[in-house]
Amino acid sequence: MEFIDYYKILGLDKSATSAEIKKAYRKLARKYHPDLNPNDASAQQKFQQINEAHEVLIDPEKRKKYDQYGKDWQHADAFEEAKRQQGSQGFGGQRSYSGGAQGFDESQFSDFFESMFGGGGFSRGGGSRRQTAQFKGQDLNATLRLNLTDIVTSQKQTISIGEKKIRLTIPAGVEDGQTIKIKGYGGEGMNGGPKGDLYITFEIFNNTAFKRVGNDLYKTENIKLYKAILGGEITIDTLDGAVKLKVKPETQNDTKVKLKGKGLPKYKKEDQHGDLYITYNIDLPKNLSEKEKELFTELSKLR
Amino acid sequence: MAREKYILVSHFCKQTQIEISFVENLHEYGLVTFEEKENQLFMDEKDISEIEKMFRLHNDLGINFEGLDVLNQLLKRIKKMEKEMSLLQKRLRLYE
Repeated sequence: MEFIDYYKILGLDKSATSAEIKKAYRKLARKYHPDLNPNDASAQQKFQQINEAHEVLIDPEKRKKYDQYGKDWQHADAFEEAKRQQGSQGFGGQRSYSGGAQGFDESQFSDFFESMFGGGGFSRGGGSRRQTAQFKGQDLNATLRLNLTDIVTSQKQTISIGEKKIRLTIPAGVEDGQTIKIKGYGGEGMNGGPKGDLYITFEIFNNTAFKRVGNDLYKTENIKLYKAILGGEITIDTLDGAVKLKVKPETQNDTKVKLKGKGLPKYKKEDQHGDLYITYNIDLPKNLSEKEKELFTELSKLR
Repeated sequence: MAREKYILVSHFCKQTQIEISFVENLHEYGLVTFEEKENQLFMDEKDISEIEKMFRLHNDLGINFEGLDVLNQLLKRIKKMEKEMSLLQKRLRLYE
């Protein structure tokens, strides 16, 4: 557990007046408020730090204790005890600053705060407009970027949202832009309200040569002129390996061939797949030799 | 078609302990719409998270109702622009 410099968090020096603390807090709260930074988990963390710093520095008693012990905060209670025994005036073991638990749950205090001040109350909003509203925590949004080859099979992943780690099963065939809801993994509820939800939007990066339309895949394959005319065999790469494909004699340019079941798995129906469509692009020979030109001329005379 | 769910405004305020005057002001400023049936006000369940968000902004940052209206419009524009940007980035990647 590390010492937290509340003055630094609010960008103030130790001589800051109450008005300066309020002003700095309000300015930073406007900047980092989670509702104004919906896709930024770090803003929420920063907002909590600002609130905690404000909670300590705006309360004369808490500020006094914080200033008095500074980096020696870990021994604060021992010092208090020693003072009490000597009959000096101190905190008299009073470690509870009950502000009526407004706003944040105690779990949102840093360990440093808990250790120095015990469970306390957050007076959200500067303490001047206290209300005991009880509602659901903020919903959080996150984007998870995956490669197209990652969604061929369902897979388990652990993602980090702020300080939380969430184990997640990503179903095969998930769509680009699709959003899933994870209940109860959003922000803390206020005054006992339920936690918010986490919305994860998948961003699928196509790292293949295929074009994706739903669960179907499309690809253009170049074939040599002679193979198109005389027929033959080509090898095509699919998502689950290479397959051999017969090319019919006299295959025309732009001919489409369907490879059934070689597309992507259907979302939550992993045993069902889309199809792969191959379009042939006939690759005409270039830089013909004299002999080739002669033969092509001869061929043209036959038609 | 999704079924709309309505809840009593007074019930919502009681549950969340948000003052009814705050919610009435939102209605007055056109930030939320209520349905009136048999002399009772009902709100769309879909508006709950928006009302809660506006309450937090009002309570935490002291933003007044005109400010909430401006913020809502700007946040919607940002969201729309972020979507467009993400779409354009994806299209750009096709040419990279």
